[in-house]
Amino acid sequence: MNRKKRSNHIIIHIILIIGAIGMLLPLFWMLKTSLVSLAESTKIPPTFIPQEFMWSNYSDVINLLPFGKFYINTLLMILFRVLGSVFFSAMAAYAFARIKFPGRNLLFMIVLIQLMVPSQIFIIPQYMLASKLGWLNSIKALIMPGIVSAFGTFLMRQFFMNIPDELEEAAILDGCNRWQIFSKIMLPLTKSGMVSLAIFTALFAWKDLMWPLVVNMSIDKMPLSAGLASLQGQYSTNYPQLMAGSVIAILPMLIIFIVFQKQFIEGIATTGSKN
Amino acid sequence: MKRNFKKLIAIALSTAAMITVLSGCGSETTSDAPKKSDTSTKQPVTLTYAIWDKNQEPGMKAIADAFTQENPNIKVKVEVTPWNQYWTKLEAAATGGELPDVFWMHVNNFLKYQSNGLLMDITDRLKDSKDVDLNNFPEGLVDLYTADEKKYAIPKDYDTIALWYNKTLFDQANIPYPDDTWDWNKLLEVAQKLTDPSKGIYGFSAPQIDQEGYWNFIYQNGGYVISEDRKKSGYDQEATKEAIQFYADLSLKYKVSPTIQQFADTSSNQYFESGKTAMCLAGSWMISEFGANDYVKQNCDLTVIPHGKEKASIYNGLGNAVSAKTKHPEEAWKFLEFMGTKEANMIQGQKGAAIPAYKGCESAWIDFNKGFNVKAYSDMLEYGVIYQNSKTAPKWSESQKTYMTKILSGQVSVEDGCNQLAKEMNGFLDSEK
Amino acid sequence: MNTNISKNNISSIVTKEPKVTKKKLQDYGWAYLMIAPTIIGLIILNIWPIFYTLNLSFHQNGDFGSSGQFVGLANYKRLLSDPNVGSATLNTFKYTLVSVPICIILSLLIAVLLNTKIKGKTIYRTIYFLPVIAAPAAIAMVWKWLFNADFGLINYLLSLVGIHGPNWITSPDTALISLIIIGIWSGIGYNMVIFLAGLQDIPKTFYEAADIDGAGPFSKFFNITIPLISPTMFFVVMTSIISSLQVFDYIYMLWGTDTIGLEYTQSLVFLFYKNSFLMNDKGYGSAIAMFLLVIILIITVIQLKLQKKWVHYQ
Repeated sequence: MNRKKRSNHIIIHIILIIGAIGMLLPLFWMLKTSLVSLAESTKIPPTFIPQEFMWSNYSDVINLLPFGKFYINTLLMILFRVLGSVFFSAMAAYAFARIKFPGRNLLFMIVLIQLMVPSQIFIIPQYMLASKLGWLNSIKALIMPGIVSAFGTFLMRQFFMNIPDELEEAAILDGCNRWQIFSKIMLPLTKSGMVSLAIFTALFAWKDLMWPLVVNMSIDKMPLSAGLASLQGQYSTNYPQLMAGSVIAILPMLIIFIVFQKQFIEGIATTGSKN
Repeated sequence: MKRNFKKLIAIALSTAAMITVLSGCGSETTSDAPKKSDTSTKQPVTLTYAIWDKNQEPGMKAIADAFTQENPNIKVKVEVTPWNQYWTKLEAAATGGELPDVFWMHVNNFLKYQSNGLLMDITDRLKDSKDVDLNNFPEGLVDLYTADEKKYAIPKDYDTIALWYNKTLFDQANIPYPDDTWDWNKLLEVAQKLTDPSKGIYGFSAPQIDQEGYWNFIYQNGGYVISEDRKKSGYDQEATKEAIQFYADLSLKYKVSPTIQQFADTSSNQYFESGKTAMCLAGSWMISEFGANDYVKQNCDLTVIPHGKEKASIYNGLGNAVSAKTKHPEEAWKFLEFMGTKEANMIQGQKGAAIPAYKGCESAWIDFNKGFNVKAYSDMLEYGVIYQNSKTAPKWSESQKTYMTKILSGQVSVEDGCNQLAKEMNGFLDSEK
Repeated sequence: MNTNISKNNISSIVTKEPKVTKKKLQDYGWAYLMIAPTIIGLIILNIWPIFYTLNLSFHQNGDFGSSGQFVGLANYKRLLSDPNVGSATLNTFKYTLVSVPICIILSLLIAVLLNTKIKGKTIYRTIYFLPVIAAPAAIAMVWKWLFNADFGLINYLLSLVGIHGPNWITSPDTALISLIIIGIWSGIGYNMVIFLAGLQDIPKTFYEAADIDGAGPFSKFFNITIPLISPTMFFVVMTSIISSLQVFDYIYMLWGTDTIGLEYTQSLVFLFYKNSFLMNDKGYGSAIAMFLLVIILIITVIQLKLQKKWVHYQ
């Protein structure tokens, strides 16, 4: 039995490693480009190992851009978007999944419709909204589009629908009201759903490029991705610097993922006791 | 404990969200500006100046500082939005009534903004101005920002197209460097000598680009892209078609240039920067990238563009414009006026930002870029052909791309492609009436 | 006929239709309250812009907030006879039909493998998630180089086995394939995370029971994993299809607006972007966006109806 398991594991590792190489390619490319000179970055055919390690790209880009502000803006943007979307989506998802109220299907379609149009159509109307609220050039404007989430509502609904009915019925018999059922019983059972939603919300916020650049004016109100975009010129871009900045910018996302990842693993230990 | 805390946050968040969403009433954007523009009182005013090039930020800031020195009550905040997002942002701002006070304008978008009444009409102010005389700027640029005989922007800079060459490759083949005597035949002759398929080296670079590419050849042959009155396309003219034929032959027939498929993988500039093309055309804006590239710095230089039957180099330039709805028209105008003076243009040149539009100030810019023969760029202004524009340019320039792609890939003959393009273009131009 | 008799609801016995009890009303009340923030938020932030866009699609020559002239269905008529729209629709469908199934299968496979008791799980998961957080500019550079006809890695590897690689990005036969490959590759990270979450939710007891019965890995996979992960699978299928039908970013990054080969890859969202933002024709662009919305809506409704057939909720 053990030998079979071992050889199974080896096969699994081989498959995973082959895939991993493909996944790592862009990161490797980012690192390599961040460490070469401008001349070497545009060279064809390209080089694999930098001919000369230009660590100065990192110091240059740090001096050029206010990374401290970028980090803070990004963190605030992510934090509030995650809090808002996870909480509001979980609430709405529970209702959609477990309460048969009139208009449920129609309202759920309204939620889904947001996913079916190109996001560029939101930019100008949302700008006008932010302008009316007096939120131009602020952190509030960064958070605004992400405070509720259609994606999150859909995702959480699937998790709520997957919980056995008996749990709820028992709670109803015990005299709990809907809010109590939701907060005390159902919500904790969708932990892995909430964690993935948190990761995705953080990710979409972190990647959002066009919106911050349109709604905010000063560079110190920019989050990471938008701040880095200022390195892109009309005709030419200093790619080594841009890549160095991008490597620095990945760190928060990487940390968030690794930290939340551990939640997954903890989840295994507690999920078994569902019944 | 954890649950109650979560609940608290939840309630707080939902209430906060509800309130902010429902409040809706426009709270004023914080600004230190007085409610109405005062022409006489010296209230402190902060103007916003929007640009899209971070490289030019130091130059623009220096001009802003010099202006504030002379006008202590007016401060200027320079805001950089990268090119890719600049126009979306400007449009959102215009739609929301929040345009910056002063901003860079590009010919491609000028007519759109002007025809919607978003740019301040500065005709009268210019007439009365003691500091700004439009005769100091290239006529073509002034015209570019004129509509219905009214002026809407002051030229800021100009750019032309020059011939760059790889000295090392020329030395290896023992060929003298290009100079101002070069014509099309010479260009082709040398390109053929320098093309070496075994090393993957091409003599020249002829990509599917208009301003930096085939437009130059069209005018050098006496053809035109769009008639002077902007009513007819020039693509069905023999002279234009001849030029396009020559340009297409460079990659298709003589094989001295990479093909359009190859350019899809690798850009013209990349080929040149890797020493894979001996010559290419490049605008003056490439100086900062070429200058930062060690290989180009050591191995390359530039000269004026070769001539055909005529001398021609496409030139373009940005303009500074004021928002028609700015809350500080007098102060904004003052700043615009300042930017049209020799002083401001000298600062621009000294900081190497771009070639100043003010005649005579290019010397400062030339001094800044000592590594290359950049004088070639300003020398070409006298026979420069202004960038082609019209109200429906966004539409016909897409048609141009489509047909030139077909022509350069050999899918369609020059004759057919150009005729069809002319037809489509005329359709758009007719709709402009 | 069922009647609910609760202590305070004697009147419900008298009414002819005891369907709506006080309890149910309470339920509805909670439901509306709980969906309110999301629905209100979405209406303000997203639904209104959709109507704004719809309005634009009935106009021409609009700029800066003014819609322009009303032209009724002219933009839609133009859309139906525009060869660009035809080819973009075809490209979009081809792309979706190929990339979605392959991506989902691969992501599920990876998620299952990363859910077993092997060493280095966290590291693998992070590695597979990396493409999702890498800078888009870096991703575009990498793929451009991989697919480069003259110097790229793929053609180099092919040349080692004597195959002369094609012009991946510009050739009519391979342009869309290149896009599909990038699409699959970039979607694995996302779907893997969601599948992992779904896999966590499967109670261990099922697997333990199967082990006792002597079931092998394949049997467990097909009889336990697949049915119990179907809610998650439904989500992944729906969202993958919806987002694939909106493919844009990589087309823009690799083919720009003027590279040869664009006609074989341009999607409906790309046409929308080109018309609305580059050609200054917001009316037509908006019509294209609405056209796409209708397509996606129909496909989504079909999927929602079909879910009863294959999605198994506990």
